[in-house]
Amino acid sequence: MALHLSRAVRRVAHFSGISGSRCFAAVASFSVNNNLLKTLFYNQRHENSDTVFFYTTKRNFSVLTNKKNVPRKYCRGFSSPATGIDTNSNVQCVLEAVHKILEDAEIPEAETCSRYLVSQVLGSTKQFAYKEHLQQKLDNAQVEELNRLVACRLARMPVQYLAGNWDFREITLQVRPPVFIPRPETEQLVDIVLDHLPSKTSQRLLEVGPGTGNICLSLLHENPDIQVTALERSKMAADLTKENAKHLNLDQRLEVIEIKVEANTTLPPNSDQTPQPVQYDALVSNPPYVLRKDLISLAPEIYVYEDLRALDGGAEGLDVILNILRLALKYVKPDGLIFLEVDPCHPHILPLHLEKQALPFKIDKVLKDFQDKERFLILSRSS
Amino acid sequence: MFLILRRGFATNSSLLCSSEKIVAPPPSKMKINKSKVPKIREKDLEEKYITGWGPGGQAVNKTLNAVYLRHVPSGVWIKCHESRSLDRNRKTARKMLIEKLDLKINGEDSVQRQEERLASHKKNLKREKTRLKYEERRKEKENQSETDQENSSNKEDNLEYIPEDN
Repeated sequence: MALHLSRAVRRVAHFSGISGSRCFAAVASFSVNNNLLKTLFYNQRHENSDTVFFYTTKRNFSVLTNKKNVPRKYCRGFSSPATGIDTNSNVQCVLEAVHKILEDAEIPEAETCSRYLVSQVLGSTKQFAYKEHLQQKLDNAQVEELNRLVACRLARMPVQYLAGNWDFREITLQVRPPVFIPRPETEQLVDIVLDHLPSKTSQRLLEVGPGTGNICLSLLHENPDIQVTALERSKMAADLTKENAKHLNLDQRLEVIEIKVEANTTLPPNSDQTPQPVQYDALVSNPPYVLRKDLISLAPEIYVYEDLRALDGGAEGLDVILNILRLALKYVKPDGLIFLEVDPCHPHILPLHLEKQALPFKIDKVLKDFQDKERFLILSRSS
Repeated sequence: MFLILRRGFATNSSLLCSSEKIVAPPPSKMKINKSKVPKIREKDLEEKYITGWGPGGQAVNKTLNAVYLRHVPSGVWIKCHESRSLDRNRKTARKMLIEKLDLKINGEDSVQRQEERLASHKKNLKREKTRLKYEERRKEKENQSETDQENSSNKEDNLEYIPEDN
């Protein structure tokens, strides 16, 4: 594997004309079903700069650079392109300069992004905060930070990772690569779960794949009577979920278990060592559901910086979903509901798979998202 | 001192005497009447996001979260981008739309105007209370200085009177 990756780096160095030792390719790798390792890389060359921006996981960075004990930072080794931003221009001019740079490089959402970045160096998370400082001039530290952010954005790092935090419903979560960034559709899933839970009774929920912890923490924040156990296969995501829970003072009602949900997964015994499997009142998940054929056409923001294991659902996007249902058979109460976010084709192809795999579940409801696409399923036991 | 309080007299605090009370309920008893607040139906609303969301879901990562909401029958519209959460903006936009509609339809009876009147009434009462307090203090000081003057003039007499030793 090490040879494979370093070959990728050499190839990038060759095409970009930059010496291999100073060229770091952004690499995202994921392994699917039969351990096929696929490497994608991205390279952005700026004028007047020798080093390209990159991001990679800690493991890949060690492999690429032969360095050990690398601290986990998500942005390393870049030199700023000539942005023309300095301490002599006021915020209005700076904003226009950033917008032009992003637009010329054909970065999507250039206008929104430039507003977020300028507001960020001025110390605010709100998009239009810059309006109160139009005539102000930036200081040296702010200019340096803005140049760094622009360089990162030119290398297609998502705005959410640049900000380091993002809003989800009523809470703000820390976000960092490669943990999957919460999508706006998932905000509706929380509403659906809350609407279907009985009020004022304590409920135990099971979540598969919390990621940043957006679903479980929103549920815990908006309903004080529930407890959640979250199963997460990625250590980085599990750590981030725990960190967010602590920040929001919700860690008392949340348990995060680092485990991959497969066909025959068994949960570890309860914290009080009771041997019986705990029966959960409901299960909620935003599992990886992207079909393999759609994975190829993802934007660089996604395939380079986000953990593709949070997206890849296999050939029909159902691999993880079916495993989740097998888990639900064992651990969710017979009258419990299962809430899933899915691909719009799944309401139509899932029933067939349920029958083929002899999984005793039926789809109770199919709900649409704000784009009018069939996005959410509520399932229950059929027998 | 008596002051004739005419009916419908504006609560102009400077002309009120402490013996005359304002005949209005205290702010704590004044309730906002929300019965006239208009209710909106989802089907009357037109909501727009920025186009180009593509397949949506996990396959897309967009930061656009501004909501443009229009109430079709009345033509009232709202743009909301307060939060970075789309869901939050949608809910806030609906609240803002109802407030705007309420103001447009109910005018002076709208919740916003009632709240403004309540706030101004509270402010007036507070001002009046402060004014009365300073009035009393001023009177006390006057009385105090009068007594002081008497005392000091007595003292002077004492000073002048020096019993002669014989």
